[in-house]
Amino acid sequence: MSTIKKGTSRERNEFLWGWLFILPTMIGLIILNIIPIFQTIYQSFFKTGDFGKGNIFVGADNYIRLFGDAEVWQSVINTFKYAIVEVPFSIAISLLLAVFLNRKMKGVSAYRTIFFLPMVAAPAAVAMVWRWLFNTEFGLLNHIVHNNIQWISDPRIAVFSIAVIGIWSIIGYNMVLFLAGLQEIPRDYYEAADIDGANGIKQFFNITVPLLSPTIFFVSITRIIGGLQVFDLIFMVMDKNNPALYKTQSIVYLFYQNSFVENNKGYGSTIVVLLIAIIMVITVFQMVAQKKWVYYN
Amino acid sequence: MEQKAKLMSALIHLILILVSITMLVPFLWMALTAFKSMTEATSVNPFVIFPSVWRTENFTTVINNMNFPVLYLNTLLLIAGRVIAAVLTATLAGYAFARLEFKGKNLMFSLILFQMMVPGQIYIIPQYLMVSKMGMLNTIFALVFPGLVTAFGTFLLRQAYMGLPRDLEEAARLDGCNIGQTFLWIMAPLTQSSMVALGIFTAVFAYKDLMWPLICNRDVMPLSAALAKMQGQYTSNYPQLMAASLLACIPMIVLYLIFQKQFVEGIATSGGKL
Amino acid sequence: MKRRNKLLALGLCAALATASLSACGGGGGESSDGGNTGGGDAGGKLTVAIWDNGQQPGLQQILNDFTEATGIETQLQVIEWNSYWTLLEAGASGGDMPDVFWMHSNEAVRYMSNGILLDITDKVNASETLELDKFPEDLKNMYTYDGKIYALPKDMDTVAIWYNKDMFDEAGIPYPDGSWTWDDFYDIAKQLTKDDGSQFGFCANPSNEQDTWMNTVYTLGGCVLNEEGKSGFDDPKTVAAMEFFDKLVKETMPPASTMSETGTDVLFGSGKVAMISQGSWMVAAFKDNEYIAAHADVARLPKDPATGRSVSLYNGLGWSASAGTKNPEGAYKLIEWFASKEMQQKQAELGVTMAAYDGVSDQWVNDTDLFNLQPYLDAMDDVVFRPSTKSTLAWWNPMVEELKKPWNGEEDMATACANIAQIMNEKIAEEN
Repeated sequence: MSTIKKGTSRERNEFLWGWLFILPTMIGLIILNIIPIFQTIYQSFFKTGDFGKGNIFVGADNYIRLFGDAEVWQSVINTFKYAIVEVPFSIAISLLLAVFLNRKMKGVSAYRTIFFLPMVAAPAAVAMVWRWLFNTEFGLLNHIVHNNIQWISDPRIAVFSIAVIGIWSIIGYNMVLFLAGLQEIPRDYYEAADIDGANGIKQFFNITVPLLSPTIFFVSITRIIGGLQVFDLIFMVMDKNNPALYKTQSIVYLFYQNSFVENNKGYGSTIVVLLIAIIMVITVFQMVAQKKWVYYN
Repeated sequence: MEQKAKLMSALIHLILILVSITMLVPFLWMALTAFKSMTEATSVNPFVIFPSVWRTENFTTVINNMNFPVLYLNTLLLIAGRVIAAVLTATLAGYAFARLEFKGKNLMFSLILFQMMVPGQIYIIPQYLMVSKMGMLNTIFALVFPGLVTAFGTFLLRQAYMGLPRDLEEAARLDGCNIGQTFLWIMAPLTQSSMVALGIFTAVFAYKDLMWPLICNRDVMPLSAALAKMQGQYTSNYPQLMAASLLACIPMIVLYLIFQKQFVEGIATSGGKL
Repeated sequence: MKRRNKLLALGLCAALATASLSACGGGGGESSDGGNTGGGDAGGKLTVAIWDNGQQPGLQQILNDFTEATGIETQLQVIEWNSYWTLLEAGASGGDMPDVFWMHSNEAVRYMSNGILLDITDKVNASETLELDKFPEDLKNMYTYDGKIYALPKDMDTVAIWYNKDMFDEAGIPYPDGSWTWDDFYDIAKQLTKDDGSQFGFCANPSNEQDTWMNTVYTLGGCVLNEEGKSGFDDPKTVAAMEFFDKLVKETMPPASTMSETGTDVLFGSGKVAMISQGSWMVAAFKDNEYIAAHADVARLPKDPATGRSVSLYNGLGWSASAGTKNPEGAYKLIEWFASKEMQQKQAELGVTMAAYDGVSDQWVNDTDLFNLQPYLDAMDDVVFRPSTKSTLAWWNPMVEELKKPWNGEEDMATACANIAQIMNEKIAEEN
């Protein structure tokens, strides 16, 4: 009898404390995130009036316009091009660097400090200095290669140049995550492999990659989502006059232009709904595919 | 064999040094350009690498134009506001989600997971309209606003509490502590390192946030947005742009060099625990 | 160690008490008073927004005089052109605008017709100090809507050619004295273009409309908007002028990508290009550029060989105030201050820009002995006001977009003109 009573009072107790503890987060989350999701979807059915006054309900017009809007689909292609270069290269390079640094040798912490440096630089500063390095006339890069390559204004290569900046900015971050994952792989695996006479490359593919696969999966899924949301670099590097702008502007860049420059928040919302749909599909796809290659203990 | 290992090690060092140079060159070029005159910076024949005179005019000009002390302060307040709010709310909620049983918990937690899946751009327009309705555009509050709570941080702290042994709490409860006291005196102190990790993670991303400050504020700006606004149609004065960039980056870089261990560990714990 | 943990926990506890109740407004405490540079609105401090860095020092002096004379504090903000309009529009929709700010002919009608700007008609009419008849009609009309005045003229700008003296010397070409025609200009630009790509005769971006190709169009008898208010891009004279300009693009200019990446002013200022066509608003910036100060001078825009006319576009900014300002009296006082003869004169003397007020711009010319700025004043003899309609930007931006194609060699100029005419007429028809 008494134990039941005690149980219920404890239950009530936990209920009260539990809600008290999560209340700040939940209220904030609902106001800041959950309601806005529905508002954005709702807004995507409206045309925004001058200065935000007099929104007009237009039904599916924004979506019809979206499907016929060559600029939007070009931006989807641009965004994919960016992600397809940035994600695999940044992951491969940082994985390699992490493996190199996960050894007993001199200078590990110095290297790690340097590789991580771009992570603490303001993105606007990073974009500006790279824009200057890439400059066709006066850039350091063209001076070194003795050429006149139009890194950021040739429509064929500009999006890849921007991806290079993306790679440069992110490898330190990925590397730190990989290093943390590597430290959890027991040393004896490698010792056993040494005895078996497996060389470094074999060890890398047979031990490191499988055992690190959860981290690799995690990093790739977050990097793909991050890559599809690229904005800062394009906003800062690409000038309005740039002939390559059309072939580099990303989905989020178009979202920003439509929502806050041209002030059609209705159409801007439609674009963001498209982005979310794309990301959702890719994430689900990755979740399914991971079963084929990610190895959990 | 010995020889081979040495060769291997030298090769690895070579690669690492080459990568290091690639990582450092943009920063060095930023610094070198910042000390040049416009003429030197745009001279092709001969190409100028080191400025003939180390001039500081670019710095004085941008300091006069951009009011850096205020920008530093705004950035500091933005970071402080977001870090304090995020760590506080996430610690509380993380504990409840990890250790307490109550009705509605699973539903609420699925909202947390859902928020983490959805890209942030979807919130921006409504958040902007909210701040605008509150009449709070162009304030520090507007900068902090989207970061008041953090689903990700809640998740991170929940993981931290899940990893703690149960018997600690049982002992405290037997001693007569209620849930609040148990949390405050026993459990919260044990997750300090996760709080620090979340704090650093939040700080770095608040510092790097560009789109939100760009739209919500006109003049109460953090460094990142102020820099973006400096690069204008008629001012492609690169030496000045580089001087401003350098001034914007230095405080965070110095902090990073001092607290590197915490930075790297903070990012590693929080970044890897999703 | 343990004690420290307890302290931390204690701090958390104190914060918890407040946070759990006011979470969604949390952090609000530090916001209201924290580091807000413009936070003192209520105290009567006027925020003033402009987009041109080059004019900041001079305008700051004029503002200081204003504070001294009236006791009203001001704070000047410079926001670059693109962000300026993004933020002004955001402010207009959300309620937080600067008190006093620049208005441009591109956007004026939209802002006036939506009630965003402070109506200053009564105050202007009651003013004892203003001499409105001294300002150009076009400029006053630009900032009047439905018979109400929303802004007072700030300045005026015309266009002239900047040339690199050294390059003329090297090629043995006499400096231009303003008697040249566009054909002469083409020949000279061609002579100054080196085959190895190390030097070009001229440069201009499609978006340098008012300061480059539009002048050529009007000088050669074409127009952007015709007398009926429709597109002038189907006028054969406009097409001919644009095709002439296209020749300049193809034969005397660096690749379009280079111009867009680096900016025409930087190309000129680094000795890559022999001539550029620039508005008088750039003079302040050029004075500070040591290379341009040492090597360049100014000449009037070339003439039409047939008619002998040399037409420059002109435009002028307006000082306007927000309809929602907390201090309409102070805001108006400041606008009136800027439009007074003394301050128009001071603006010219300080070399900020040419004045809108008739007859005081000589000061601006005499302010510097680095360049001969007289051509900018002479250009006033034959000017056309920058074309605009009710919602100018609706067709202006697509027009510039379309011109990028011939610039990049993706389309011939005649096709681009035909497309522009069609887009413009559609957009202009939508206005009514």
